[in-house]
Amino acid sequence: MGKTLIIAWREFIATIATKGFVLGIVLPPVLIAGVMVLMPRLMSKAAPKIEGEIVVIDRSGRVGERMKQSFTPEAIAASMAAAAVRQGAVPDGGAGLPPVDAASGVTMRLLDPGSDVDAERSKVLVATGGGKGGGADSRLAVVVIPADVVEAGAGAAGGGGTPAVVEVLHAPKLDFRWIEHINRAVGRAVVDTRLSEGGLDAAKIRGLMAPPMMQALAVTKEGDVRTNEATKLLLPGAFMLLLWISVFTAGQYLLTSTIEEKSSRVMEVILSAASPMQVLSGKIVGQAAVGMLILGSYAAAGLAGLVSYSMLGLIDPTNLVYLVVYFLIAFASIACLFAAVGSAVSDMREAQSLIGPLMIVVMIPMMLWFPILHNPNSVFAQVCSFVPPISPFIMVLRLAGSEPVPVWQIPASMIFGVVTVVVLAWAAAKIFRIGILMYGKPPDFRTLIKWVRMA
Amino acid sequence: MGDAIDIRGVRKTFGSKVAVAGLDLVIPEGSLYAFIGPNGAGKTTTIRMIMSIIFPDAGELTVLGRRSAVESKDRIGYLPEERGLYRKMRVGGFLNFMGRLKGIDAGALDRAVREWLGRVGLGDVYGKKCEELSKGMQQKVQFISAVIHKPDLIILDEPFSGLDPVNRRLLRQLIEEEHAAGRTVIFSTHAMFEAEQLCDRVFMIHKGEKVLDDPLSTVWERYDPRTIVVEPAGHLSGVDLAPLQRLAGVERVDRGGTGIEVTVREGADQSEVLGEVARAVRAVKVELKRPSLEDIFIQLVGEDAEPADREAAGQGSGVGAGAERSVSVG
Repeated sequence: MGKTLIIAWREFIATIATKGFVLGIVLPPVLIAGVMVLMPRLMSKAAPKIEGEIVVIDRSGRVGERMKQSFTPEAIAASMAAAAVRQGAVPDGGAGLPPVDAASGVTMRLLDPGSDVDAERSKVLVATGGGKGGGADSRLAVVVIPADVVEAGAGAAGGGGTPAVVEVLHAPKLDFRWIEHINRAVGRAVVDTRLSEGGLDAAKIRGLMAPPMMQALAVTKEGDVRTNEATKLLLPGAFMLLLWISVFTAGQYLLTSTIEEKSSRVMEVILSAASPMQVLSGKIVGQAAVGMLILGSYAAAGLAGLVSYSMLGLIDPTNLVYLVVYFLIAFASIACLFAAVGSAVSDMREAQSLIGPLMIVVMIPMMLWFPILHNPNSVFAQVCSFVPPISPFIMVLRLAGSEPVPVWQIPASMIFGVVTVVVLAWAAAKIFRIGILMYGKPPDFRTLIKWVRMA
Repeated sequence: MGDAIDIRGVRKTFGSKVAVAGLDLVIPEGSLYAFIGPNGAGKTTTIRMIMSIIFPDAGELTVLGRRSAVESKDRIGYLPEERGLYRKMRVGGFLNFMGRLKGIDAGALDRAVREWLGRVGLGDVYGKKCEELSKGMQQKVQFISAVIHKPDLIILDEPFSGLDPVNRRLLRQLIEEEHAAGRTVIFSTHAMFEAEQLCDRVFMIHKGEKVLDDPLSTVWERYDPRTIVVEPAGHLSGVDLAPLQRLAGVERVDRGGTGIEVTVREGADQSEVLGEVARAVRAVKVELKRPSLEDIFIQLVGEDAEPADREAAGQGSGVGAGAERSVSVG
């Protein structure tokens, strides 16, 4: 065991203490985590603080005054908060939004109904900064309300006719949230006018018509969490991808280092101090640690992102345990195969010809991700859960999905995986023992099988 | 003293090629044993079987009293024929790694590594990457990795290949020191003059079969010197060979590049013939030349030795490294 661990430690350090590993494997998840944690904090959750005025030319002379109600600082803040909640940028209740006075730099001015639109429009063009806050007199937008805005499109039967077109001529860089706010303000003023002129209490009706706010919540042990379809689909895929990346990156390192040790003849030196089984197991343990490091790095990045978006509750901690267990099974299986191939060949080119068919098989979970996820308990998915070496990948995909996996299949697949690993390790040890000091013509599959039977 | 290695009827084949055929060999503890033979004779295969890197098809083998070298690897130091180091690893790191694999306590290991590096003149390469070293330096680093754990048995497969004369001498000295410390040392070489200079026992193998296995002193006794080398006082071309050819006990007289070689007839007294030769020609030196291991090898395998074998066996002989063991008689 001592020698195995010494070899494992060297293998681990030799792999991770390289610029290539740090830049290519460790840095990306760190950057991803950094971006995911910082982005929500860097992103503005409300419309940017701007100063300027929005002028309204109300040809109807009946709507403009009502619009002013939507341009008080409180009304602006409430509107922006509601929009942010709708967009999912902030939790319900608008927590994290800037204070109301942050939006108080925008004013609305009602112009004479006969004002010249072109003249006002030109003031928008010359406004400094194009709506980015060039000063309190900056012209952010001109709203032109046609004379028939109240009547057009408002048939007595509750609709009909062509609605009038209200033009919002805005500065090119005006934030879209402000444009939406203007649209809402005009719409609300027009509807309120229609209701009032129809002898109805607009405020009361709006109150009666207001739908409740809907909220879908996933029930988790950590509490109820807001969900969406994209997350439901991506999360299981992310789990499987995580497993796949860590297993095959570490597996590739194992293959490369085995070939390198063989071709540089250092293997015979090592074999003078340790048995082939100690060398093989040491290399596999060392690269398993590398794989765990990769798995841990990317998983930590993902978890940081979920924490940042207050979605950590979507992760079932049991799934993380399963991920580690299935990683060990998947890596041990792949590592046995890669180590056997690495010991039998002299360069990567020869290795590719032996590993190619295996790679096609292990690509199955990647190719059938969506069908399996949509129907995780289909016969196909269940059968794949017991086909080595893809079984761990399929199980992780199914377990992270929304449909519960039959409980018996979890221990059964693990036991099956362990048995597979034992068989592969037995065969790999035999191939390794013969192949590692064999040079010359690369063996084909028949030769490898012969080695397994003869050793 | 027991036996360091005991090989009984060991056979190893690779496909249809018989690498080692029914080998019996006993190596006593404390001996300095040379495995000699041309390339492909079976030396490395035998050594790899001793090291349990490969396993015999038949026969039995014990190493340091155990059934397999795997059980006593920490007591064995091995320098393989194919040199290999982790190219990207630093020299100090590599030797520490090998030392730990050999069971040396981590506390004392680094000091031992530095001492050994200093001893072989590589005190300044501790922090260098292995790939930055010359081939000779790499070989010395590998030698250190083979002996750093003070093994009871040291096996060196072609230790002198690729070394310049200075480093060859250094390595010889180190091997002798290890032997003097009571360790059993086995080294293989296809350059037989190296074996003549160093070993006390010799094992000769050809095409997988043992052709000689004796103490060197016994070999010299068995293969009496039968060649007298004469360095004439004048020009070699001016020497008349006829008087020498007429001497009793002389079988053949040949004119060489720098002297005359007189072959003594089987059964004749070499000392008497030597005296007669000295009287027959005016010479600055007349000496009885011992047959080299190369000569013995050629004699043993006879017509079976292929030209490549002869070339390999004689590689480096007579290159100022003292290939000939001469008895100077004046």
